[in-house]
Amino acid sequence: MTGQLRALLRLFAVQGTWNYERMLGVGMGYAAEPLLEDLKAVDPVRHGEAVVRSAEFFNCNPNLAGLALGATARAEYEALPGAQIVRLRTALCSPLGAMGDELFWAGLVPALVGAALVGVVLGAGWWAIAGFILIYNGIRLWTSYWSLRTGMESGMRVGAAIGASWLPRAIERIGPASAFAIGAAIPVVAAWYLKPFGFSAGIGAAGVVMAGIALTRWFAPFLTTVRFALAAMIFLLVLRRVGV
Amino acid sequence: MNEFSPHVVLPLLVWGTLVGLDLVSVPQAMISRPLVAGTVAGWLVGDAEAGLRIGVLFELFALDVLPVGAVRYPDYGPATVAAVALGAGAPWELGLGLSVALGLVLAVLGGWSLQIVRRWNARAIQRRAAALAAGESSAIRRLQYGALLRDAARGFILTLLGIVLASTIKDMVGLDRQTAVALTLVAIGSALAAAVSGAFRGSGRSSRLKWLLAGAGVGVLLAALA
Repeated sequence: MTGQLRALLRLFAVQGTWNYERMLGVGMGYAAEPLLEDLKAVDPVRHGEAVVRSAEFFNCNPNLAGLALGATARAEYEALPGAQIVRLRTALCSPLGAMGDELFWAGLVPALVGAALVGVVLGAGWWAIAGFILIYNGIRLWTSYWSLRTGMESGMRVGAAIGASWLPRAIERIGPASAFAIGAAIPVVAAWYLKPFGFSAGIGAAGVVMAGIALTRWFAPFLTTVRFALAAMIFLLVLRRVGV
Repeated sequence: MNEFSPHVVLPLLVWGTLVGLDLVSVPQAMISRPLVAGTVAGWLVGDAEAGLRIGVLFELFALDVLPVGAVRYPDYGPATVAAVALGAGAPWELGLGLSVALGLVLAVLGGWSLQIVRRWNARAIQRRAAALAAGESSAIRRLQYGALLRDAARGFILTLLGIVLASTIKDMVGLDRQTAVALTLVAIGSALAAAVSGAFRGSGRSSRLKWLLAGAGVGVLLAALA
């Protein structure tokens, strides 16, 4: 297995040692190890320094971490000054975090989940869920591969490579798609649950929805939707206990 | 599921552990999404309908979560697995409310346990600070495997606790039909509130809002036709 392939596989566990001090740092060091192996024979001192740098503080979206990993590994082989590599790593944190979160957590995942929910309710069942898993992991696997390859190829010019890539355009397009999918899923799922209970029960549930939206908005961040749900259930049980 | 026999509990424990690991550590393949975790758990306990109904409901709660940066959020994966263990075997209209209540408590506990694991990871790193500063690759590997083990243990314990609680509730809590239905309706209403809140927060006032409303229009049409 080549170093790049091992690094790619290790990237899937890049958040394994997530903590509040180095965040993804140690996970990045773990993924960098196969990439830096050849440096050990060429320049053992440089290799030791590179390993130290690879496990220092780092944070970004895990699916785009390959860009930083590849770029810094290449910079190590080009024997660039350590301080410059650290600056590159630090500079990549925010953009890779923002772009990756926008693309995956606020875009692709809700878009596919919304579509899967509609599919499940309309009778696609397991197929909808399998489709969600396969499409998400296909895109994510390809993105991770592309990230690592682009990082390795561009090194210190990784910023320009990202700007000229498909990423900014994909982020623009996925946002509307995810909003549309979630917008479609909510009424479909609501009807799926509430139809068997009849009209008056539906009105009651709608009341809970309205109260939930309003109260969690007014009393945020203390009153989360989970706390609201638990409080509403306890309130109901108390009411039933006293005979209402 | 009428009883918590080993041939049901063991696969649930394995599944809950995998689901717990998937949330953050490895491989983030989205098996920790409640829709997936619940459906598979339903299949494991022999009640696919319960798995699907509970999974979809927790998925609505999960839509309110945006896992960016160091944000703290509930862990719905093992919680959904335990909720399915409780809800299986009963008509979903009666069992959903109590299952969701159990699941939500476990999800909060799961989110809290995630913070504990992260603090333990930080302590482990501090203990190996000298080896890290010396550039020892083996120290990085040991830290990584140790952290994965901690997270796996977290998922396992959460699932085990959930199954024990589910078994206890099944044996000891009996709700009358009216209360059970009312609890289910409150659970559905709360989950929809979470999904709507999350959808509006994610859309803001940008062009996404128009797409959200357009999608809602299509959804209403589909719901009427279905």
